Amino acid sequence: MNKAYPGLVHRLYAVWWRHVRVYAGNLFSNATPPFLEPLIFLMGIGLGLGHSLAPVDGQSYIQYLALGVIVISAMFTAAFENTFGTFIRMEFDKVYDGMIAASITAENLFVGEILFVATKGAFFAFASLVVLSIFGLVPTAATWLAILVGFFCAGMFACVSLFVTSFVKTINHFNFYFTLFISPLMFLSGVVFPTSMLPDFVRAITWALPLTHAVALVRDLSAGTFHLQTFLSIGYVVLFSGVFGVLGVKLLKRRLVN
Amino acid sequence: MSDTIAVRVDRVSKGYSPEFQAVSSLSFEVKSSQCFGLLGPNGAGKSSLMRMLYNKTLRDRDEGTIEILGLDPAKDELAIKYVTGIVPQDDNLDVELDIENNLAIYGAFYGIPRKALKTKIGELLEFMELGEKRKSRVRELSGGMRRRLIIARALLNDPKLLLLDEPTTGLDPQVRHLIWDKLRLLKKQGVTMVLTTHYMDEAFQICDELLIMDKGKKVLEGVPARLIKDHIEGYVLEIITSNGEAFSYKGPARREQTRDRLLFYSNSAAELEGIAHQFKAGEFYLRQSNLEDVFLKTTGRSLHE
Repeated sequence: MNKAYPGLVHRLYAVWWRHVRVYAGNLFSNATPPFLEPLIFLMGIGLGLGHSLAPVDGQSYIQYLALGVIVISAMFTAAFENTFGTFIRMEFDKVYDGMIAASITAENLFVGEILFVATKGAFFAFASLVVLSIFGLVPTAATWLAILVGFFCAGMFACVSLFVTSFVKTINHFNFYFTLFISPLMFLSGVVFPTSMLPDFVRAITWALPLTHAVALVRDLSAGTFHLQTFLSIGYVVLFSGVFGVLGVKLLKRRLVN
Repeated sequence: MSDTIAVRVDRVSKGYSPEFQAVSSLSFEVKSSQCFGLLGPNGAGKSSLMRMLYNKTLRDRDEGTIEILGLDPAKDELAIKYVTGIVPQDDNLDVELDIENNLAIYGAFYGIPRKALKTKIGELLEFMELGEKRKSRVRELSGGMRRRLIIARALLNDPKLLLLDEPTTGLDPQVRHLIWDKLRLLKKQGVTMVLTTHYMDEAFQICDELLIMDKGKKVLEGVPARLIKDHIEGYVLEIITSNGEAFSYKGPARREQTRDRLLFYSNSAAELEGIAHQFKAGEFYLRQSNLEDVFLKTTGRSLHE
């Protein structure tokens, strides 16, 4: 009887499946924005500002911006899902209390959720690529591998957002997280302009930030150039997700099981 | 079979902080296929105790043991949750899913194969008389329907043990009786139950054994009818008056004055009738004593919050 309950993979899959069902339950309102977001971004900044800007790193500005945009929506969806979304499920709807009364643990619950959010990030990157391809802004076939970066980028932000959520007492505290951390990343991570244009001391900071590495990986994949920096970025993504993932899951478990 | 022990709680404690001890060295045993009731005022530690049975609340580990079907919740949480249906005090249905999917997704947590699950969901919705609501949203359900759905959810994996934390609080009499009928049926099928309640009639109707607790400690334990017999006189006379002290009585009946009532307890109905004669009809009420009288006698009449 000890081993009658489902194994780890099945338990994680079941949690992942719960989120997929909820997401798919509102397909129109959930699946349209990922296609509109990159479009608005490109039109807003690319069409307006793009024409008056010089080429960057040997690309037209709009092409430079387009590659940066691919993982932006993956970051935002992960940050929202695992702050407001997680908090509401945990504190208001009490959904988690219900879920862990079945044969899954609190750890399974949060790891399954991270996997779902990462999947969602991959879908968002895919949606961005579809939009970019319509405008002829997917320069190489390898650029489509940015879907993978979308997966891991969303995974990183899922982990750090869960970590932040584990400390939050009222939902309004998330405003600080978005204003002071998530939003500035747009300008400090090589999305709209290269980090090389920033003063040296700011550049040092940018390499400590997660989005910088996700964007750098997209650009490396697209150009097919791999150097030491590429592997450092991969290492950063793994380490960042690991540290904040473990801490976030542990601290959140304490809020559910005490 | 009826003599095997399904739940064994031995000197279990839970302190949330040095100042707040929710459960203090509590012990009891639940036999297989029996319904065991936990009674106690709000804050007595009933829910904490229930949650410790499936490791939702961590017991103090320095002393005390819990055995659920031979397993320790602190070590075999998953194996226990696999065979235990849990009906928590607060509604925690998945508000983002419809009724049918609430059960379908929950069934996936147990790893129930898709086809068997579909049949099971149909059966349970019928059993809990929710068949017409399968496509409704959780927020469209009344309190009674939600409660029934939570019980249906707890039954998905054919549990050997059911933990019911105030299953009928806030429900109308029709729904309460329906739920009691279903619980009695499940008990007949061999399901062991641990139940907390504030309703004395509920405890009396479905529990084989009861434990009254207060401030985290056991106050009384036993078979409901026996508890009444052993711990309270057979009859109660209630007289509505806030000035009971003015009434002089020197007889053998036990006397108690509450804020607006004067009460006399005795095993002799005739004795109480004698007292009642001195009051006008409508001012008094003579009745058999019940579990609530035992409860109030053992846990006191003052508020506990």
